[in-house]
Amino acid sequence: MNPEQIITEALDNYESLLISYAWEITGDMESAKDAVQETFLRLSRQNLSDLQPRLRPWLYVVCRNCALDSVRKVVKFSADSVEDHDRASEDPSPDERAMATEEGRRIWDMVAGLPLQQREIVKLKFEAGLSYKEMAEILKTSVSTIGVQLHEAMETLRSRWNRETTQVA
Amino acid sequence: MKMDPRITAYAVGELHGRERDLFETELSASSALQDEVNSMTKLADMLSASPKSAERFHPEEKDRLLAQCIGNLKSRTRAKTTTICSVFDLELSEQIVKAWLALAAGIVAFAGLAVIMHQSGPFKWTNFPPLRSTSQEPPATIASGDTMQQVAQEMRINTLSAPLVTTRSAVTTSSERVSFTEGWVEGSSRCMSSAQSTPSSVSLNSESYAPIRETDFVTAKENPLSTFSIDVDTASYSNVRRHLEEERTPPADAIRTEELINYFRYDYPQPSGENAFSVNLEMNRAPWNPEHKLVRIGIKGRELPAEDRGPANLVFLIDVSGSMSSPDKLPLLQRSLSALVENLSDADRVAIVTYAGSSGLVLESTQGKAKREILDAIANLRSGGSTNGSGGIQLAYETARQNFLKGGNNRVILCTDGDFNVGVTDQGGLQKLIETERESGVFLSVLGFGTGNLKDSTMETLANKGNGNYAYIDSISEGRKVLVEQMGSTLFTIAKDVKIQVEFNPARVAGYRLIGYENRLLAKEDFNNDKIDAGEIGAGHTVTALYEIIPAGQTVQGSSSVDPLKYQQPEPKAVTASNEILTVKVRYKAPAGEKSSLIEIPLAASEIPSADKASEDFRFAAAVAAFGMKLRGSPHVGEIQWAEIQDIARGALGKDAGSYRAEFLTLIEKAKTLQKEAKQN
Repeated sequence: MNPEQIITEALDNYESLLISYAWEITGDMESAKDAVQETFLRLSRQNLSDLQPRLRPWLYVVCRNCALDSVRKVVKFSADSVEDHDRASEDPSPDERAMATEEGRRIWDMVAGLPLQQREIVKLKFEAGLSYKEMAEILKTSVSTIGVQLHEAMETLRSRWNRETTQVA
Repeated sequence: MKMDPRITAYAVGELHGRERDLFETELSASSALQDEVNSMTKLADMLSASPKSAERFHPEEKDRLLAQCIGNLKSRTRAKTTTICSVFDLELSEQIVKAWLALAAGIVAFAGLAVIMHQSGPFKWTNFPPLRSTSQEPPATIASGDTMQQVAQEMRINTLSAPLVTTRSAVTTSSERVSFTEGWVEGSSRCMSSAQSTPSSVSLNSESYAPIRETDFVTAKENPLSTFSIDVDTASYSNVRRHLEEERTPPADAIRTEELINYFRYDYPQPSGENAFSVNLEMNRAPWNPEHKLVRIGIKGRELPAEDRGPANLVFLIDVSGSMSSPDKLPLLQRSLSALVENLSDADRVAIVTYAGSSGLVLESTQGKAKREILDAIANLRSGGSTNGSGGIQLAYETARQNFLKGGNNRVILCTDGDFNVGVTDQGGLQKLIETERESGVFLSVLGFGTGNLKDSTMETLANKGNGNYAYIDSISEGRKVLVEQMGSTLFTIAKDVKIQVEFNPARVAGYRLIGYENRLLAKEDFNNDKIDAGEIGAGHTVTALYEIIPAGQTVQGSSSVDPLKYQQPEPKAVTASNEILTVKVRYKAPAGEKSSLIEIPLAASEIPSADKASEDFRFAAAVAAFGMKLRGSPHVGEIQWAEIQDIARGALGKDAGSYRAEFLTLIEKAKTLQKEAKQN
């Protein structure tokens, strides 16, 4: 594949996934899209044939950095901190339209209530389908930390889900 | 519950190799842990199944971005290459080293665990509550045309076997145990309502088994020939195991002794020369009767290295009806299939057809190298609806034919818990269809799942008609065994219509009986008749048959004798002087062949080792045979005690890769306890 094809294909394949991921970090669609734009612009300045085998983790690392950059800029004007950036649950989620099933929407609503790092990991695992190893690379941490954090997130989700389902019943 | 990240890691497929094996050993010991894994898997499945975000750039926005990127590409020169890339490399490699160090530390920790957990045997998934068994099954789900007969048979079985769940409190307990699971599963109301159902409906277990009549001793003088088709199925073993683990004695008709014996691997030598398989004979004392001998016929199919296997063209025909939602069915199937996909080679092809409310092609025939695509399709399988997909099986066969691989393994694999209204409603029609398709080179295998509704006999028949095999999958380790470890043999046939005929020498043998294979017996004329269908053998597969022999000079008790003829004198038969005890003849065809070949092997008296020299494989097979016969209450097994059977098996564990033989010891223990309790009551 020539570099042009690599970029075109990457944009097609990762556009939605990266926007969704960046949006998780920025909490606002506009800056999420900006971060993804910036990611692809940076990509176009790379030696693509060298980069291609590691394209996926590369995209996520850079996208994450860009998204965090934009949050840092925002922080100057608001009280929100990066780590504690939690979307109010009544905000209509951008995913909402796409969520075909009620069940799927409910569980992802619960994901939105998790701490940022756990949210990211859940997204990277179940939306992007990344492995623990890839996630460790992207989040600059160890595989075992990923394992612990994802497990913590899953435990929280499970107990919340159980509570809600029993209440409904 | 203590924090154990391995639960999540296991649920999302991030435990590998040894770490995973150790965890599974631990799982087998703890039902609480199994419940944990279960619920985590459901959660993981739900998260990955939810539709993904579809947020995209505005088309104009995207075009502009792409144009800008391409502009950058063109203006980019080598001199301008930024250092981001190499910095990234450094960061990555550092992370990888860290990750590996952490992993290595983990492995050391688990190795310690292994020593502790070693005793608890391999992981099994069988202690799931039998959800299905508590729900009332309308007779309409019976696929067979002859409904009355089946119902009658089922009722008979129900009186034979202990009821699955007898009290209301027991039902409540089982639904409490899955309280978490219920929230996830479609049709969960079924589980809830079953708790309120009356005890009378509880006993309506619709598992059905064809009756088995054990063969009696016959005299070698009157019946010198014994003919049967080989059977490579192993489903009966996992089914028996499931019953015993639920602390129920399996119905006698569910115990097919030859399938118990064939469940285990035996270390027979590879065939030499051009032969498709080797035939290995051994004779020694019968453990349950010191006066009798046992002759073992052990057949081993030629092993095909993965690269010599023809490519596989597999079409999975999957039942996704509501009844498949319990954890021991569809979720288990998904895991087993995923394990298979990991082992596909690039040239293999996989397609998935589902049937329930409607049938459909979920995954078009896809090359093995597109693993991700196949795995996604498997992960997205959901159960719901009733089993009535018209044309499911035709669609599956059509897909298999369209992607036919010449010289390859073309196969439809039916995965179900027993409701296979796959479009052809009467069983006769279904059999005919399967037989017709067999001629086109597409074979059929059947994988059975779950409890309470298993149409054991029908599944076995269908697989036999389709030149395939039938396996019952009750745990992820069983799924791995059938679909991964034995992929060569389960899925790659090296010889078909394999028949065995044994001629006994009346000068040496007074009487004999074949152990098991009751529904595989053939007329002696069928042996040389190439039109008669028989069993298939897969690459590397072993098939074992045992004859119990009464040596010459003893009387043959229980053989059905006929009165002497009134108008004819029996011709005095000339018995050739020979030191041979018997001769085994094996007929088989190449997978695509129409003419059979013959292998002939005699067993000479001089080849018999002394009683203490019986091979491990021989002793183990004898123990399994004794177990099967005793469990089904056979009159032929004499007074042998469970403890004796256990001792023989324990002394013959051999290498036991996969610990299957060790697990067998625990089954004997369970059978022993059950029968003791039964006697006390």
